[in-house]
Amino acid sequence: MNDNSPETKIKVSVKQLNFFYNDTLALKDISLDFPDRSVTALIGPSGCGKSTLLRVLNRMYDLYPGQRAEGRVEVDGENIISPGVTVSALRAKIGMVFQRPTPFPMSIYDNIAFPVRLYRRLPRQQMDELVEEVLSKAALWNEVKDKLNRSGLSLSGGQQQRLCIARTIAIKPEIVLLDEPASALDPISMGQIDELIEELRHEYCVIMVTHNLQQASRVSDYTAFLYLGELIEFDTTNAIFTSPKIKRTEDYITGRFG
Amino acid sequence: MKLDPGILRKRRLMNRFMIGLFHLAMIVSIGVLAAILIKLVADGVHSLAPSVFTMSTPAPGSKGGLFNAIVGSVLVVFFAILFAVPIGVLAGTYLAEYGRDSRFGHVVRFCNDILLSAPSIITGLFIYGLVVLPVGHFSGWAGALALCFIALPVIIRTTEDMLRLVPDTLREATIALGCPYWKMIVSIGWRAARPGIVTGIILALARISGETAPLLFTSLNNQFTSFSMNAPLSTLPIVIFQFAMSPYRDWQQLAWVGSLLITVTVLALSIFARLFSRRKT
Amino acid sequence: MMEETAPAGTMASRNSNAFDQAKVPAAQRPRLVAFGSGFEPVFGLASRAAALLVVLVMAGIFATLCYQSFPAFKTFGLPFIFNSSWNPVTDKFGALPAVTGTLITSIVAVVCGAPLALGVAFYLNELCPFRLRSILTTTIELLAAIPSIIYGMWGLFVLVPIMSKIIQPAVINALGPLPLIGAFFQGPPFGIGMLTAGLILSIMILPFIASVSLQAFATVPVALREAAYGTGASVWEVCYRIILPYTKTGIIGAIMLGLGRALGETMAVTFVIGNAHRIQMSLFAPGTTISATLANEFTEAFGKMYLSSLLALGLILFAITFVVLVITRILLHSANRKIPV
Repeated sequence: MNDNSPETKIKVSVKQLNFFYNDTLALKDISLDFPDRSVTALIGPSGCGKSTLLRVLNRMYDLYPGQRAEGRVEVDGENIISPGVTVSALRAKIGMVFQRPTPFPMSIYDNIAFPVRLYRRLPRQQMDELVEEVLSKAALWNEVKDKLNRSGLSLSGGQQQRLCIARTIAIKPEIVLLDEPASALDPISMGQIDELIEELRHEYCVIMVTHNLQQASRVSDYTAFLYLGELIEFDTTNAIFTSPKIKRTEDYITGRFG
Repeated sequence: MKLDPGILRKRRLMNRFMIGLFHLAMIVSIGVLAAILIKLVADGVHSLAPSVFTMSTPAPGSKGGLFNAIVGSVLVVFFAILFAVPIGVLAGTYLAEYGRDSRFGHVVRFCNDILLSAPSIITGLFIYGLVVLPVGHFSGWAGALALCFIALPVIIRTTEDMLRLVPDTLREATIALGCPYWKMIVSIGWRAARPGIVTGIILALARISGETAPLLFTSLNNQFTSFSMNAPLSTLPIVIFQFAMSPYRDWQQLAWVGSLLITVTVLALSIFARLFSRRKT
Repeated sequence: MMEETAPAGTMASRNSNAFDQAKVPAAQRPRLVAFGSGFEPVFGLASRAAALLVVLVMAGIFATLCYQSFPAFKTFGLPFIFNSSWNPVTDKFGALPAVTGTLITSIVAVVCGAPLALGVAFYLNELCPFRLRSILTTTIELLAAIPSIIYGMWGLFVLVPIMSKIIQPAVINALGPLPLIGAFFQGPPFGIGMLTAGLILSIMILPFIASVSLQAFATVPVALREAAYGTGASVWEVCYRIILPYTKTGIIGAIMLGLGRALGETMAVTFVIGNAHRIQMSLFAPGTTISATLANEFTEAFGKMYLSSLLALGLILFAITFVVLVITRILLHSANRKIPV
């Protein structure tokens, strides 16, 4: 589970990132490299900036005036927070799953097909195959294969979240962002999501925000600990959880605060 | 996933087109508002003179003003609000305090909702049948009553909404001190909701100031300078209606002045209400 | 997010507190304390009486209209609604031209006004610069504050000449000769008519539809919007494929509210409709609506049958708007129950 091979490619490289909510500095000079084909967990107490950092990566802050980022965030070498970047194309590469399940108000089939159709024109049969493929990967196919025309909202919470994950990987992104993907779910669904994340790390660069330390230690290869907008420590998960180098990290891991 | 540039181009075009349409919708809406206001000012100010406020409505061809109509409007609106406020606030209080879940409360709320959005001309017909026919003639009182029933649902709705915003914890704390229920409502509920309730009253005032249809069958019109509420009463909207539809130039000009006066009043009240509610909350 | 309040005097201003607070336990909310001390029973009684008055008014309207229109219905029977002759001289009255006119002008109003209103609502929700949003929303709501008679004045003295000189001739030339739809655009360009009335109405109902739609849009969960944009969808795609389906019920409720308003509008229509008790295919022909008939003819009406027929028209209008308003209420209440997850 804990890869440490020197050939691990860096997919996303954050360099001296500062992020502002209006005049408040929320992320302070963050520099961090996310390796490809692995799961990196972002942990830290509430308000430390881990979700903020995640949302910089797919330019989600564009939706809100007053939020701005300075510095460099390089995906495959290209700085994605420069103004000239086509955000639509960027979001084809970077998928995001949210804390609460967000099925679109469409049929289950269309939930998958809608994002795909934004980028490719697939004949019906190929689309059918794609839908089956991603729903199987999300461990949802058997449960919904007979009701693909039913609304996405008719599924249970855990199923909805798996649908969202299926939807995200349907457009074959290279990076998958997960914002506390299982925190709103019951324990069984949470376990299923964990298994899914295990699967995802073989193909994608997965970056996951979580406040569940057990989940982080179980599922991730690398862990970054943030506190009050600063990156305190980044290392392999094994190292962070068994022998953290910085005291504050150790205090958080052992539950002395947060 | 490989991006099909053709699709991207089509999507971008569609997006730009629709965004353009949204902007157009906005421009058209504001444009019409501006057109109305400009026309009002252009034609209304043109004929604005002190005589408008001092002389009564003339026969076609002679000089005159809108004095009797203005006074008539003020009288009718004044009495309408005078009756509507206590009844409206009390009824709204009932809905917010006593009648939150009761069957009767639901019925009242339903009726109020219907009255709120029902055509005002229907209210006029109602008062015609209820008051004008039995009494035998049109009167200012009938007009005031009709306007009262139009203002009432507005005041009831805002009173209920504003009172509901007062947190229940505040109510419970007051009662726990031994305060009688009615006193809690008056001292705590009404006081906390006062800005909102006042806003609602101002908005009701704005609404009935411009109403014409209900006055058609109730206070009718009176070309003489009469301020008796027991007789047909001249009011600004009715005079505008009569003058505007006539072929006489000087009457039409007076209609524009009257329109300007009404619009300025109504818009001023509406804007004031908005500012008032924003300031207090 | 800023709270939008619908123009007061609409069904929609209830939405300001879609979240109901915890109920005060019944024990602490005394019902009528008949023998309680002091002022309490008086106050309780007074507020109940005031509430009762509302119900009485509503019932009274219905009763009065029925009572007054009874002679007409007794004489003409149900065919009154389908008869198109309206002759005060021979005392023969039929409601069809007025009813048709009401329905047609209202439908034109909704067909023109609803897309316009949704465009405005989408603009304010998705595109408007943050600082301008408050001012522009107020401006739209001012459209609702302008009294009906002012719209009538403007319609008669500004829109009608434009229609008569520019728009109607152009449309008659362009669309008149066409088969089928050409029949809707015939006749001399007087400027007045059903279409003109419908256009004025569409501007009048626009702020109501836009306001309620904005409130519906506010119920869309933030995460859903972000997820939609997160897939790379454009603004239009998010509006059309995500926001609109999600708020479907509320939007239909908004449009129904606009319809209800248009049905009962009086003064604006009276000025520009032409007041002819005839049913014609062309939208440029003069016609009448129920409220316009009432406004124009009531004070001149003589004779028991004439008056009764007019009041029968009023009853029909009340019935139609009642049905529309009930449907609106159901739709908007169920839309409001969609509290953000």
